[in-house]
Amino acid sequence: MSLLEVEGLRTGYGLLPVLQGLSFSVEEGTTAVLFGLNGAGKTTTVNAIAGLQPVWGGSITFDGQKISGQPATKIVERGVAISLEGRHVFPKLSVRKNLDLGAWTARKTAKQQLDLVFSYFPRLEERLDQMAGTLSGGEQQMLAIGRALMSKPRLLLIDEGSLGLSPKLAQTVFEVVSRINDDGTTVLLVEQNIGVLPYADQALVMEKGTLTFNGSGKELGESGDLRKTYLG
Amino acid sequence: MTLAFDPTTGLVSPLVHGLFQGSAYGLLGLGLVLLYKSNRIFNFAQGEFAGVAALVAYLFDTGSKGLPKVPYAVAILLGVAAAVLVALLTERLVVRPMFHRPRVVLLVGTVGVALFLIAVEGLVYQDIAALRPIDQALSIDPIFTRLDRVPVLWSDLAKLIMLLALAAAAFLFFRLSRMGTAILAVSQDATAARAVGISVERTSMLAWGLAGLTGGIAGVLLAVPPFSTTPGIFTGTILTTAFAAAVVGGITSLPGAFVGGVLVGLVQEFASADLPLVPGLGSIRGGGELAVAIVLLGILLVRPKGLLGSET
Ligand SMILES: Nc1ncnc2c1ncn2[C@@H]1O[C@H](COP(=O)(O)OP(=O)(O)O)[C@@H](O)[C@H]1O
Ligand SMILES: [Mg+2]
Repeated sequence: MSLLEVEGLRTGYGLLPVLQGLSFSVEEGTTAVLFGLNGAGKTTTVNAIAGLQPVWGGSITFDGQKISGQPATKIVERGVAISLEGRHVFPKLSVRKNLDLGAWTARKTAKQQLDLVFSYFPRLEERLDQMAGTLSGGEQQMLAIGRALMSKPRLLLIDEGSLGLSPKLAQTVFEVVSRINDDGTTVLLVEQNIGVLPYADQALVMEKGTLTFNGSGKELGESGDLRKTYLG
Repeated sequence: MTLAFDPTTGLVSPLVHGLFQGSAYGLLGLGLVLLYKSNRIFNFAQGEFAGVAALVAYLFDTGSKGLPKVPYAVAILLGVAAAVLVALLTERLVVRPMFHRPRVVLLVGTVGVALFLIAVEGLVYQDIAALRPIDQALSIDPIFTRLDRVPVLWSDLAKLIMLLALAAAAFLFFRLSRMGTAILAVSQDATAARAVGISVERTSMLAWGLAGLTGGIAGVLLAVPPFSTTPGIFTGTILTTAFAAAVVGGITSLPGAFVGGVLVGLVQEFASADLPLVPGLGSIRGGGELAVAIVLLGILLVRPKGLLGSET
């Protein structure tokens, strides 16, 4: 049994369908990367998994239990956390309060997770009392990932974690994500940056709401066609 | 040149009255700031949360309309509880269904609630109702002290003390408590708040419940003689000025509700008193309002975010 199983997922906005029967699964302990052009439906997919997007049909199963249709609070409690596209830090709250709020559903482990977050992102510890909105883009991204980690997730979703960052900073983020994964957290990344490929155990490519590739990262790297079409 | 009155008393009287009148604006303004901080909503029903509390407390205190006559303290509690209930119903029936609409739609929604409450109050009670002030209930001298011959009433002092206590409590709630921080988080980024597992519905209920609580407390403190309650009087006489005061204080600042309220009260009283400082202003009809308008516009030109700025 896979940690995450998406089966025939259907959802959209208003009357407009975006996903019409999406299916894939992610194995525990791996790093999976979801690629695709703008508008392919990547954000819609991870938001649906996190409970932020209503599910019209199909099912999402986490650790053998159905989470589709559950409120976001319950899904976070079960062990799924998301770093949203566009970072979405609380701009007028301090770094410390942003992180505290990340542990909203997991108060008991907050202290331990905070130390863990500082070990991944020492920069955040230096800026604890700064307003999150005044952080640089890279720091805000670290905070978004750190805040998601505060709930002690078993599955971490990161939507466009490298968008707008310098190539060097993007690489740093990928390296930290790889460490997070090594420490036992399963990771599903949404990315358009091909630099993430070396870290991907599993690669998925989406086009217009459907999967056009689902294989190993290595396979995707070797197939020149896919590379050209979907990754530019 | 001889003055027609003792200039010292001339200063003390508007000072005392301005402080207490300002407390009234501050008490209503506090609920306005609370909801603006939480939801970015201007709540036009805030005055009638006070109105409902005053009316319910009056009916139970006097045992009118077939209601049982209960001890004064119980009547006051029932009045405040009624305001909380009305605020929670407003959240559930009006605000939540319109949560994702533009803020101006919600504003009109709260105007609707105010009009509805005024109508209901009118059905229940058309006469003038003034609540017994605390001194009457306790059978003590209504005058706490005299400042240079100007009497300071217990019932006025209660307003000022309660305003200070509520503003401080609300300030600390947002600064220190988990739920307070969660309310701020929802107002800053509702999607992110949901993503960390905060229930947007529950924080909204809490914010409205607190607005009802402060509105209710305002109602039972303000509806005492010489002020008296008729349906809609809070909306008609205090709410607009309370709005202005809250904006001048800094509409997202809880201490600002206090500062703005008291400032407006003082300006109003000093301008309408016939001071030698501003000869003649006191004799102009609406001179107090005129002075308030000028001071408000002046402050907002210099400090568009209000005196205490943002999110305090
Ligand atoms: N809030 C929204 N309202 C309406 N349509 C949306 C909304 N968000 C996304 N869409 C549409 O859904 C489709 C998929 O978008 P999205 O999941 O954001 O793609 P991606 O993350 O792959 O760029 C796009 O056609 C987009 O226009
Ligand atoms: Mg996207």
